[in-house]
Amino acid sequence: MHRLFELLFKYRPIVFEQGHFALGAPGALRAWLLGAGVVGAVAVATYTLARGKTRPVDRAVMAGLRLALLGVLVFCLLQPVLVISSVVPQQNFVGIVIDDSKSMELPDADGRPRSAFVQDALGSEQSKLIEDLSERFTLRFFRFSSSSSRIDGPSDLAYDGTHTHIGAALDAARQELSGVPLSGLILISDGADNATTPLTRDLVPLQAAGVPVFTVGVGDESVSPDIEMGRVELPRSILEGSELLVDVVVTQTGMGRRSVPLIVESDDRILAQEQVELGPDGQPVVARVPFQLDKAGPTRIRFRIPVQEGERVEQNNAREAQLQVLGEREKILYMEGEPRHELKFIRRAVEDDQNIQLVVLQRTAPGKFLRLDVDSASELVGGFPRTREELYRYRALVLGSIEASFFSHDQLQMMADFVSQRGGGLLMLGGRHAFAEGGWIGTPVEEVLPVVMEPPQDGPDEFLAEIRVAPTPAGLANAAVQLGAPPGEVAARWDSLPAVTTVNPISELRPGATELLKGTGEALAADQVVLAHQRYGRGKALALTVQDDWLWQMIPPVEDQSHETFWRQLMRWLVDGVPNEVRAAVAQEQVEQGEPTRVTAQVSDSAFIDVNDATVTARITTPSGMVEDTALTWVVQRDGEYGLDFTPSEEGEYRIDVAAERDGHVLGNDEIHLRAAPSDEEYFGAGRRTQLLERIADETGGRFYTPTTVSTLPDDISVTGAGVTLTEERDLWDMPALFLLMFMLMAAEWGYRRSKGLA
Amino acid sequence: MRTLLRASSILAFFAVSSLLAATAACRERPADGAVRGSVAEPSPSYRGLMAQQVPRRFRRSADFEPAPPAAETREGLVEPEGTHAFYWTRAEYTDNGRGWGRYGGRERRGSWTTDYPKADYQFLVGLKRLLRIDAYDGINPVSLADPDLRRYPMIYAVEVGHMDLTREEIHGLRDYLNAGGFLICDDFWGTREWDQFERNIRAVLPGRPIVELPLDHPLFSTYYQIDSIIQVPNEGNARAITLGYPGAHTYERDGYVPHVRGILDDHGRLMVVINWNTDLGDAWEWAEDPLYPLVYSTYAWKLAVNMIVYGMSH
Repeated sequence: MHRLFELLFKYRPIVFEQGHFALGAPGALRAWLLGAGVVGAVAVATYTLARGKTRPVDRAVMAGLRLALLGVLVFCLLQPVLVISSVVPQQNFVGIVIDDSKSMELPDADGRPRSAFVQDALGSEQSKLIEDLSERFTLRFFRFSSSSSRIDGPSDLAYDGTHTHIGAALDAARQELSGVPLSGLILISDGADNATTPLTRDLVPLQAAGVPVFTVGVGDESVSPDIEMGRVELPRSILEGSELLVDVVVTQTGMGRRSVPLIVESDDRILAQEQVELGPDGQPVVARVPFQLDKAGPTRIRFRIPVQEGERVEQNNAREAQLQVLGEREKILYMEGEPRHELKFIRRAVEDDQNIQLVVLQRTAPGKFLRLDVDSASELVGGFPRTREELYRYRALVLGSIEASFFSHDQLQMMADFVSQRGGGLLMLGGRHAFAEGGWIGTPVEEVLPVVMEPPQDGPDEFLAEIRVAPTPAGLANAAVQLGAPPGEVAARWDSLPAVTTVNPISELRPGATELLKGTGEALAADQVVLAHQRYGRGKALALTVQDDWLWQMIPPVEDQSHETFWRQLMRWLVDGVPNEVRAAVAQEQVEQGEPTRVTAQVSDSAFIDVNDATVTARITTPSGMVEDTALTWVVQRDGEYGLDFTPSEEGEYRIDVAAERDGHVLGNDEIHLRAAPSDEEYFGAGRRTQLLERIADETGGRFYTPTTVSTLPDDISVTGAGVTLTEERDLWDMPALFLLMFMLMAAEWGYRRSKGLA
Repeated sequence: MRTLLRASSILAFFAVSSLLAATAACRERPADGAVRGSVAEPSPSYRGLMAQQVPRRFRRSADFEPAPPAAETREGLVEPEGTHAFYWTRAEYTDNGRGWGRYGGRERRGSWTTDYPKADYQFLVGLKRLLRIDAYDGINPVSLADPDLRRYPMIYAVEVGHMDLTREEIHGLRDYLNAGGFLICDDFWGTREWDQFERNIRAVLPGRPIVELPLDHPLFSTYYQIDSIIQVPNEGNARAITLGYPGAHTYERDGYVPHVRGILDDHGRLMVVINWNTDLGDAWEWAEDPLYPLVYSTYAWKLAVNMIVYGMSH
């Protein structure tokens, strides 16, 4: 297409894009020509008005064609030119940035690796592309993967990089060539960028400096036949013994629809195995795998699909993820307003859970409380906590059938802050003194809850509904309501449980809340929201609107564990992700040796108010056992955040213990892990990403090429206007398109005359 | 011929008599009640909303209908229908025919009915004054063989020294206790009744030992602090003590020393509380009697409240 354009219009499209149009004829000549044109037009008009055997339509058509012809002629006589800035030969530099990552060694459909293009086009000085470029520019070569560096030529490439950070590489090349006249950068890559920073951030400096990037995309757009596993998301930490329900996305191309095993393993121990039915070509399917982690400590989980026969890329069949399995005992405060069987059965359900400590404060009479499972004689001795420090010791709060008026306004506000600021979990249970029936409307806790409460119409004892409970689609995907059933049998397990009752009619969710369980019953005007949750600030809030789910324990056969499993998983979910006073994190859980990363810590005091004047230290234990203490500094832009840039110098598992103190008092500590190891990231999404490369070219003023179209690149880069340039005028009057147009107009008039018998 | 006619008339008389007797028996048979010793069907009322909402009516037999609560003890009270957090539930069980068992002084109706229903009504009045609890005000007897038993996680059984449980009752009570139910036993005295009770409860929970509950057990401090076990006498003995009759005593038969014993589950939680050689039920039933010493009623309520708070939280 471009060749046809060049044939007709004399120049390639980029010349028209980069240049601007002008008329080269002197002013007097222009005026004379204009006058001649007017005279000619009048003559033609007069001629068309002549009476004869022609009809008016014929005369108009012929006059129009003659006028158009005259117009083209006048246009040519005005000497149209394209004013363009073209580089001065050998006065400018061009940077050639070449992808040096592993994915460049992947074979294409023809069996040749992607890197073969680099060798063919740039490998020797005799190659056409190098010759053309060298005639005009001084060339500088760069390699890049996760980092970039200057090289002498393509022979220095090893194609062993484990990441592709295109934006950073382009910006680094721009900076290195910022002292010389730069006509542009040529990027040769498959576009398989896997940087965590947004590309736009690195393109802005290029745009500002006016450096066009000419991208050359190598490799097939689709790798086929192949099976690829998508990214696997795991929580940062989880309580020991908790059930995880992980969604794994699997995509096949060219393998056909078949069933393959998905294996989850840790330390060579298989945790779970599921059969996955692959979808149509290119369409991802989601496999849901439940498994449990029973060993406390940093745990690396591997998800893999055995390599199938004929696969082009084997490395993209597996993913690894790291999480911290916590062996701690998490304290939950359960405040109950009256003796209820619900309390007994919840306690019994979680009693065997070594990671949950359910501290109970039950009002048995006005001003009289029963305390259970407290750590000391003084704990909760004054009733419900009155200070933030006292309440924030717990990681979650469960409110039973207790009216809002029992609490002071400060305590209610403290409960809301417990969720939003401390990041704790809040669960409100159904009951005659819960939700609207307990007067919770209009309290600070109202907006924390994930459900909309309507004022009770006819008194608190009027509404009663027997309901059967079933999971929603969101519930089926949530580990907390699986009841320990296999993935396909969860709904049936719920259906087997007896009906329960509610005295709190709730049918509406707050915006942003998610319903996990719903209830249906004859006495209900609308389906009851049985279990819902929402994020609120740093924490989460849950609502369980039934009042006697202990029936799930008493009615089914004695060996049925549904009730116990439900409450254990619900309580674990409630405390899952609840932060400590010091929360450390690392930007990437796995980096390469020598690849910089950042360690951050969010520090707050016991009331969870961010602290900016703490002394924060990271004790880094290297894989070889060396220990180094390094200080984290406060990030001024964000309250309570401290940071440290860290580059692992050896491969293996790094342990980072972050401790914070202020005025000699320990605020808290946290433990994180960082793995330094070669990455397989290059093999995921390994097809050529044409859209990304086109975007880079478009946004910087360059062009996108493939190996078959790259031959025009040297000419194109000459007219971008960047670098040391000369302004030149290129004639347009002799464009073949103009002559072709005049010829066609004359032929059209002659043809018309012939068809009408006028010639 | 005359002999033949006489024989025919005698036969006809027996046939008609038998027919009438059978008709009468059918008429007397409870319409919806359980036959002793068999598995009780769920009450028809439960087919509606739920058993808790409208507790089952007393349905031991057609001619044994207790007066409704309003007429009996709570005149004028209109009990709202609705689910309550707590139902004081009396266990119906099969006995060996030697116990007291009565109702309102009328004919004997089984050991489980001892003190029934007055003790239950009076107990609930006291309970609701002492404890902030959403308790149903009415009576609620349930057979140990009834599947509905599992809807009431706490039951009270009286005169258990005369228990003679059927196979269905044994299985029902075993599943109930293993699922998380809580049984309070009361009012049986002496070695002979202990042996009878022990035989039955071991059939229900084989292999689980019966242990003496020490005074530092949470049961004695969950709500009230109880520092000693008191022998609560029956109504007659209590009056005799008050009136100063010579030889008046609190014990019955050879049950001289009161005991609070228990059966624990695998986690050390009480499944069964056994009040032996004591009669808490009479203390509730006769609490209003000026001749019944207050000390016994007070103790009976204290221990009962502790048992309820413990049983609803452990």
